[in-house]
Amino acid sequence: MRRAGLLALALAVLVGGRSVEARAPEAPRLATGVAAAATGPANAAPTVDEETVRRVAAQLRCVVCQNLSVLDSPSEMAAQMRAIIRERLAAGEAPEQVVQYFVAKYGEWILLSPREHGFNLLVWAAPVVSVLVGLAVVAVLLRRWTRPRARPATPIDPALRERIRRELDSLP
Amino acid sequence: MIPELGQGALVVGIVLAVYGAIAAAAGAQTGRPALIESAQRAALAVFALVTACFLLLAYAFLTFDFSVRYVAHQTTLSTPFYYRVTAVWGALEGSILLWAWMLALYTLIVVLRHRGERDLYPWALSVMLGIIAFFLLVMTLPAPPFERLTPVPADGRGLNPLLEDTGMITHPVALYLGFTGFTVPFAFAMAALVTGRVGDAWITTTRRWTIVAWYFLSLGLLIGGWWSYHVLGWGGYWAWDPVENAAFMPWLTGTALLHSAMIQERRRMLKLWNISLVILTFGLTIFGTFLTRSGVIASVHAFSQGSIGAFFLAFLGLVLLVAFGGLAWRWDRLTAQGELDSILSRESAFLLNNVFLVAAAFTVFFGTVFPLLSEAIRGVKVSVGAPFFNQVNVPLFLSLIFLMGVGPLIAWRRASIDNLKRNFLGPVAIGLVAAAVLHLVGVRSTLAVLTLALALFAAATIALDVLRGTRARLRTGAGLARAVTGLLLRHNRRYGGFVIHLGILLVALGVTGSQAWSVQTEATLKRGQAVEVAGYRFRFEGLSATQESTHARVVGTFAVSRGGGAPIVMRPSKKFYRQEQAPIAGVDYRMGLTEDLYLVLGDFARDGSAATVKVLVNRLVSWIWIGGLVLTLGALLAIVPDDRAA
Repeated sequence: MRRAGLLALALAVLVGGRSVEARAPEAPRLATGVAAAATGPANAAPTVDEETVRRVAAQLRCVVCQNLSVLDSPSEMAAQMRAIIRERLAAGEAPEQVVQYFVAKYGEWILLSPREHGFNLLVWAAPVVSVLVGLAVVAVLLRRWTRPRARPATPIDPALRERIRRELDSLP
Repeated sequence: MIPELGQGALVVGIVLAVYGAIAAAAGAQTGRPALIESAQRAALAVFALVTACFLLLAYAFLTFDFSVRYVAHQTTLSTPFYYRVTAVWGALEGSILLWAWMLALYTLIVVLRHRGERDLYPWALSVMLGIIAFFLLVMTLPAPPFERLTPVPADGRGLNPLLEDTGMITHPVALYLGFTGFTVPFAFAMAALVTGRVGDAWITTTRRWTIVAWYFLSLGLLIGGWWSYHVLGWGGYWAWDPVENAAFMPWLTGTALLHSAMIQERRRMLKLWNISLVILTFGLTIFGTFLTRSGVIASVHAFSQGSIGAFFLAFLGLVLLVAFGGLAWRWDRLTAQGELDSILSRESAFLLNNVFLVAAAFTVFFGTVFPLLSEAIRGVKVSVGAPFFNQVNVPLFLSLIFLMGVGPLIAWRRASIDNLKRNFLGPVAIGLVAAAVLHLVGVRSTLAVLTLALALFAAATIALDVLRGTRARLRTGAGLARAVTGLLLRHNRRYGGFVIHLGILLVALGVTGSQAWSVQTEATLKRGQAVEVAGYRFRFEGLSATQESTHARVVGTFAVSRGGGAPIVMRPSKKFYRQEQAPIAGVDYRMGLTEDLYLVLGDFARDGSAATVKVLVNRLVSWIWIGGLVLTLGALLAIVPDDRAA
């Protein structure tokens, strides 16, 4: 136990010396969170499917990070948001309801993938439209470029020409 | 004194760069070699001056000259030597300086390689000096690296801790060599427009430059992924962050250019398209700088705000206006009637490749700027992040992998049924068998099956071609080793391209594996407790704390064992920096060919009795880095002098 005491002292000097509580407002909550978890895993709701938690967390943006999901982010804020997801799922909410809770709280911005309606349809259409336009342009060009034009019929069989080319290529 | 010297060197540099640009243009116009030689001397002097600026700034860092604002903001007295060197380009001002220095370096090499040429080179030199002048101007007005700070602080503020990594040398340097490298083909393309010599000269002249730039850009992206993976502590390598996207877009258009340039070389077609692509690629490098430096989009890489965004936007506008204006001016010479023998040909495959690459570039571009658009038009903030980009880009990338298999073996001009059968029957069968086997061994992800089958199909076409070429050489009596090396060196461009394709396929393997099969969990453990993930047991052994030169560190110790094997010890940590609000994760990882173990320390009890840990078992990620090495070999092979050209 003495060793643990020393360690606590060291941590207090290193970390607490600059006051964890003062730096990060969420720190006290986290400390209690760890304490609660440490008193026994029985307190955590065992019914929550972690896969569902991950699926929800992957859709949401960690609010203090740049472009990381709540699932991926190593930040304390993201850990808290994961805890909230877990709590709400444990309380019987559907995954969509949990997502909706965060949207109501932070706005559409919290969703990493914009919802597919209204103005947002533009961004979803971009890849489809750009591929279709590209294919159309290529189709038109190919038609124009392959249009047969007057020229002497080629006496060499294309397969033969291909063979000659290959053999030329593979000469040392 | 030192900062004033640097400032002076910058101003003289601008004057000389502008002079050189004008002299080179005038020399090209009037045909007076003396003017061009004078411009060359100016380019040499600009290189010397920018190098001097760089050394002066480095000197200010090494001597802790906190009277320089940039130095005071990027170091403290405790910053170790190595990071004081890399801090030179660790933020806005210095990164522009690094950029300008590389531009000057490329210009110097262009001068050394092409001096004496009269057609395109003088104009290209003029364009490059003009672009350098812009970057030097940025350093005198909105982003001055040598600006003084009064009163002089006793100690500096310190580097962003995420930049305290060895990747700080390789990642920015490779990325910037890639970005700035595309200036050379752009300059020659502009020269082609000005002179009206829009034929193939600029393409053949800059072919190798384009590969070099493309290679460094690829390397920069991969090292960025590696950095993200082992420093940022989220277990991933690519977040579709706006600035990652900004570097990825010119990579996509540059890749399109590498392919479509081959059609122009061989068939004298697509002149208009190739010049458009090179303008687009160069424009996207400037746009990327605009995104990173202006702060318009929140990103891990964003450095600062201020007037610099306006500078880059104005420059980008000017570049696009002039370049596309030139294109319109030379329209008649660029739109020669194309001629194709058949739709079933390599030309068609390359055109499709260009469609998908440019569509991907546009998708990434539109997704990246869409939040700005949404806020401006609807007044609603939205995010466009990884789930969106993954979903929309996957079909495009799968199409590209398919074309990667088709393109290299389908015949130019016209593919006969016989040609198709001979080249593709085997690889298609291999792809189908692979899909069936993957399904049978229990791979349930359709996406993973599809990607791996397509990748194997593409790899099989390459193998088939190498096999045939080698066999042909063996018949001439050469030994196996000589046959293979002879084949690779004789057709180094072709096989360099193949090796690069293999590298990309390996990257695709790593991406697919990590997306489909990685597992992760998070657990709060008391000392002595363990959590099991993917057959591994992670037991929490305790916490310790240390004080390092720039930060305090809390280290968790975990014994990791599998089955009855002896445990290994892993030590993820949290680093507490004075200048940072939140602690920074120090991940611990063990890499392997099939899986990586990756630990991130979360919250912990202050007495060390309990800690939360995030455990990731990431599958096949190492193949991304291996793919990068293979890609490097391929690029080297493609760049070595072509003995047929000699």
